[in-house]
Amino acid sequence: MIRLLLSGLRVHFLQLSRSAVEVVSITVWPIIYATVAYYMFGAESDPDVLLTASLGATVMAIWSSVAFSAGGAIEIQRRLGTLELLVAAPIPFGAVLAPITIATSAIGIYALGATLLWGRLLFGISLHFEHPVLFALSLPVAIVAIGMLGLILASTLIFYRAALFLGASFEYPVWLVTGLLVPLSVLPGWVAPLSWLLAPTWGMRAIRESTVGGSPLSALAMCVGLSACYAVIAAVCLRAFERLARERATLALT
Amino acid sequence: MTADPALAVQVVGLERSYRVGKGVFRRRASELQALRGITFSIERGELFGLLGPNGAGKTTTIKVLTTLLLPSAGTARVLGFDVARQAREVRTRIGYVFGGDRGLYDRLSALDNLRYFADVYRVPPRTQRPRIDELLELVGLKGRERERVETYSRGMRQRLHIARGLLHDPPVLFLDEPTLGLDPVGARELRQTIARLQQAGKTILLTTHYMFEADELCQRIAVISDGSIVATGTPADLKSRISDRTVVEIEAFGASDEMIERLRSVAGVASVSVELREQAQVILVQASRGAELLQPLLRELEDARIGKVVPRPPTLEDAYVDLVGST
Repeated sequence: MIRLLLSGLRVHFLQLSRSAVEVVSITVWPIIYATVAYYMFGAESDPDVLLTASLGATVMAIWSSVAFSAGGAIEIQRRLGTLELLVAAPIPFGAVLAPITIATSAIGIYALGATLLWGRLLFGISLHFEHPVLFALSLPVAIVAIGMLGLILASTLIFYRAALFLGASFEYPVWLVTGLLVPLSVLPGWVAPLSWLLAPTWGMRAIRESTVGGSPLSALAMCVGLSACYAVIAAVCLRAFERLARERATLALT
Repeated sequence: MTADPALAVQVVGLERSYRVGKGVFRRRASELQALRGITFSIERGELFGLLGPNGAGKTTTIKVLTTLLLPSAGTARVLGFDVARQAREVRTRIGYVFGGDRGLYDRLSALDNLRYFADVYRVPPRTQRPRIDELLELVGLKGRERERVETYSRGMRQRLHIARGLLHDPPVLFLDEPTLGLDPVGARELRQTIARLQQAGKTILLTTHYMFEADELCQRIAVISDGSIVATGTPADLKSRISDRTVVEIEAFGASDEMIERLRSVAGVASVSVELREQAQVILVQASRGAELLQPLLRELEDARIGKVVPRPPTLEDAYVDLVGST
């Protein structure tokens, strides 16, 4: 299964890297988000706040990549005619789909590097990490958790072609609800329980607390727990949607 | 239905319908019956052809058998496993290859495609490399495997499809119009590959609408038309259905629909079909052997310009036209 995951990641990265549109959007968006975030928080602010803002921009970029590309990847498979071949393979479809969504989420590693370098060069933010080991752990855990959330979104696309737009329409609300744009404290109280169910909230918290100080372990544990829950939900959804797609003949439709 | 261990594929009363929506604001759903209770079986190691015109139900049948579609009614088994309830067991034992340009990662090399599908089809890592080499050799792509698929010709893509379908060495292969759009040389090479696979003991279900292909390759054929199987048998059996007939091939220019219609009512005529070959219409008239046909036929076509007129014995294609045309 690990080999399949790595093989899927490799194929998906190769596919992405050979599309000029994908490469440009992946390269440019994190820098735009980072610039907006720096100006929102003000260049004169506390260096910790600026660092937090840049990390928030990273998580925004990860989520945007997943919301758009995870769905887009299924559509690409459908257009290439490979979706049917992957569904007809003797392995659970989730094992084929997970590398695709995790690959799109892993683009966040680039987003992190680009954002921090941009912040350092243009705004002179200091790159000091309070818990460097936990920070190094937080990023992949957050990437997998967000990738698994993307897997749930992507599973709907096997059946509903229009779900591509559904994924895109989730981009901004998730930024808002998970506190990536504005602190959760300024949002209505009912938003908090909703944010607890979303991996970007905890991913962001783990990354922030391992950077500026605090206890990131509980946020990390929540990310791991949510990843497991998402995996179970995605497996159930994939099974149900695959059966519906076989019943209603939507696998080959483009 | 009980599973017969001698059979690779067993289909009984298979039906499949699709819901089709019409209209933008007030959508009306209607049902399209693609398969109307078809029954057939394929023995292990047999190369079986499913022949039919476009929209007859060939691809729907293959998609049900490859577990991509659920049947609306009836049952289908592959190597004893039910395609609806035991999809995983079926998937490990089948290969699915379809014709045309799709089904590959164009931006990747053939080797990257095969490596990925080898993982997806659970080929053990240790045997992947020799298996891929062997298949590249089999389909004649050795030496070109590191080139991107988007630079391949249609024939090369089709051969790569075959290699992909064989990665996990499945005992049963479903080939859905594999020679579609290939040039004559590419199609011939692919037919040779298919024949070699059958000699190697694979069970193959081949769909095609090229009669000569079915005649050359298939041990038995089922002719499907409008979702129903109208005949099953060896190519010789099907030809013998019209062995009491003769075929007159008339090359005509400017024959109207009315003239063609009048040909059908000439005494002794069983069927009439028309093919367009560049500027000419080639009218194929099947009639009872011994009937005096030429004069009455040419009389009905007197306002058209007539080229060659050739009487000849019936072929499998004539049998097919007769079967499909009569439904």
